[in-house]
Amino acid sequence: MTPFSSGAGSQPAYHRLAVVVAVFAAALFAVGLCAQEATRSVWEGVYTEEQAARGKSSYLRQCAGCHGELMSGGEMAPPLVGGEFLANWNGLTVGDLFDRIRTSMPLNSPGKLSRDVNADVTAYILQFNGFPASRSELDRRSEVLKQIRLESNRPEPKVPPNWRRRRAT
Amino acid sequence: MPRIAFSALLLVAGIASAQSHAKDTEWPTYAGDLAGSKYKPLDQINAANFNRLEVAWRFKTDNIGNRPEFKLEGTPLMINGVLYATAGSRRAVIALDAATGELIWVHGEREGPRGAAAPRQLSGRGLAYWSDGKEERILYVTPGYRLVALNAKNGQPIAGFGKNGSVDLKLDDDQTIKPDLVTGEIGLQSAPVVAKDEIIVGAAFREGMTPKTMANNKGYVRAFDVRTGKRLWIFHTIPLKGEVGYDTWLDGSAERTGNTGLWTQVTVDEKEGLAYLPIETPTGDYYGGHRPGDNLYGESLVCVDLQTGKRKWHYQLVHHPLWDMDISSAPLLMDIKVDGKPVKAVAQPTKQGFLYVFDRITGKPVWPIDEKPVEKGTVPGEWYAATQPVPSRPPAYSRNGVTPDVLIDFTPTLRDQALTLVSKYKTGPVFTPPVASSVGGPLATLTLGTASGGTNWPGASFDPETHIVYAYACNSCVTPIGLIPTPSPEISDMRYVLGTAGQEFRIARGPGEGAGADSPSPGRTQAPAPAAGGGGGPLNVQGLPLIKPPYGTISAIDLDKGQILWQIAHGDTPDVVRNHPSLKGLTIPRTGQSGYNVGTLITKTLLIAGDGQVTTTPDHPRGAMLRAYDKGTGKEVGAVWMPAPVSGAPMTYMADGKQYIVVAISGGVYSGEYVAFSLPSTE
Repeated sequence: MTPFSSGAGSQPAYHRLAVVVAVFAAALFAVGLCAQEATRSVWEGVYTEEQAARGKSSYLRQCAGCHGELMSGGEMAPPLVGGEFLANWNGLTVGDLFDRIRTSMPLNSPGKLSRDVNADVTAYILQFNGFPASRSELDRRSEVLKQIRLESNRPEPKVPPNWRRRRAT
Repeated sequence: MPRIAFSALLLVAGIASAQSHAKDTEWPTYAGDLAGSKYKPLDQINAANFNRLEVAWRFKTDNIGNRPEFKLEGTPLMINGVLYATAGSRRAVIALDAATGELIWVHGEREGPRGAAAPRQLSGRGLAYWSDGKEERILYVTPGYRLVALNAKNGQPIAGFGKNGSVDLKLDDDQTIKPDLVTGEIGLQSAPVVAKDEIIVGAAFREGMTPKTMANNKGYVRAFDVRTGKRLWIFHTIPLKGEVGYDTWLDGSAERTGNTGLWTQVTVDEKEGLAYLPIETPTGDYYGGHRPGDNLYGESLVCVDLQTGKRKWHYQLVHHPLWDMDISSAPLLMDIKVDGKPVKAVAQPTKQGFLYVFDRITGKPVWPIDEKPVEKGTVPGEWYAATQPVPSRPPAYSRNGVTPDVLIDFTPTLRDQALTLVSKYKTGPVFTPPVASSVGGPLATLTLGTASGGTNWPGASFDPETHIVYAYACNSCVTPIGLIPTPSPEISDMRYVLGTAGQEFRIARGPGEGAGADSPSPGRTQAPAPAAGGGGGPLNVQGLPLIKPPYGTISAIDLDKGQILWQIAHGDTPDVVRNHPSLKGLTIPRTGQSGYNVGTLITKTLLIAGDGQVTTTPDHPRGAMLRAYDKGTGKEVGAVWMPAPVSGAPMTYMADGKQYIVVAISGGVYSGEYVAFSLPSTE
């Protein structure tokens, strides 16, 4: 017997309400995540080589101590390249990755890097993962980066419906 | 030391209903019992209904500490209807109603600069419970390495324990912690263990790839009186002069060398009065030139007398450790039957995929463990053991060497690319030595089953009735080990540290460092950064893993026979493999997933383990699955969706007639959360 454990049956209505509220809140959160539609893909070239080069220099100073110079992860830090890394981000946006880095990294002093440096580091991570460079730099604004889908594999070329019909006949 | 403790009791005693918890099944230690089994013979949740599990409650840990944590590794305890866990970047203790998840109390310690300087921060793996039938206590170790005793009823520190409820573990340790009590490097992230009114506590350090000094602090093991906090005994993991094993340290290196801690879980045979201590690598992980000799009790399983801490027997699994194999998880105390004869055994799962099995009373191997000649390396100043012990039975349950037959082979092109990539590295079977990195090659020794391979801290499980061990293993966790001459004496006083020739040098750190709620910390001096160049590229082939599937496995190992009964790939095929353009048209069976963060839970009929990675498949939206397998066959019988991968080992209990499964999830974009599953009440 312990005076501090309230039995499950003691307040059933309250508990059910709590679950409903939690589920509703989770649903709202999910809707919020999807509110901004991701209109571009990380495969379309979303950073520049110069930006990635700047990012490499910052990465080696700020990140490589834990994640490794080859991004293969440390004894305990997760890798930032390959399937294990992409599993965490496939289906989300570059903005989600950027904000995770920006708000929680480096672990010993989260938030100390500017948005610009974070964008550079993100560009370098994208480059190291084999995503193509292009002529425009990765933006420093989360809301803009949330429009870029992170897709581990290059999406199928979108076939115009008319063309497909013609091919089929 | 400036520190503030805070406890908040959120439920007034009088309003809680006085209920009997006679039918409850508890989970009173990290592994469910002192033997390390992670087993409870419950069957309310079974193959027929696993798919109908619902989230009973969830507990988000973001606000326990001054920042969210993305690496929640704890396994809670459940006693008497209350769930206890460590949580958040503060590593506070929370007490929750086991049926509803409602917060009963929370206790945290603000340790200031000492917490900020701690080598192992964040929420830790768990805590210990003690009761004499009247009083109930919760014991845990803070990031700043203090052992705290709390009243389990209200979270208040026990005034009579140590000094105002805590013992400063940096004191009374048969060494002076350098350089001072605030910044001195030593800590612990695992759960302490309580047996027969004593608490056993180990020690952990920073990642040992680039140690600042060969003369790091030492990781002794100690026991304390659970009532008073008084030290009862100490075991010197590096023997003092005159103690057994001292002669395995040449040139006075026993005095000099540090680490050799115990950072994972201890198991105890209370009946026999024996404790089993799995000891880690001495300083440093990959270069042992300053510690010639076999280096007892580095990477040794040590059995000590529970009452005195005196060594009963030991077995060194790796002589003169150079691969960071450590001993990473709880030894499993099993009563088995070999050739018709009962054996009180201890089985030790490892990163290197060997399961070492001994008579736990005598320390004698149950099946022969042969000393096999191994390759000597060529790193200047290094000392090499001529042989290494290799168990004859059971066979290795995960890969422990990089050889051509384990490389990716989906297509001839991919395989050729893998062979080209690997040609820049030294490769070979288990115990292939590290190399001095060279721009022209080899850049490093490519290893499997070292730092992050095989079974890591979540450990294995076993069924005491069938004598079967269930072990998750990373089967594809590659670690490149290359050494470079230390660039400057400010970085380290060791001759060689981990690095790649031609690359800018940096100190290797772990995420448990400078990461807790007391940070930011001042940090260590970094070398000024020269221009980077040279080195290798990513260790993958067209974005695909260098090593072929299965990437992660669960093995069932019959300990009566020393045989692997079955082995399955655990976890969905990663998106990057399933959707890869080069693999179009190929039928690839489930590959499993790499990772070290998966633990197993055994019930009456099921083996339960969660995915360590997120996937998006035709069967489920973006998420990770908690899976149930028939424990007899390994056939999957059910799975429930989770929003994030598992990051701690699951546990189970019965509260008020209902079975729950609780697991820590976090990673990527998802911050730490404990999730409880149970069957819906409508049934």
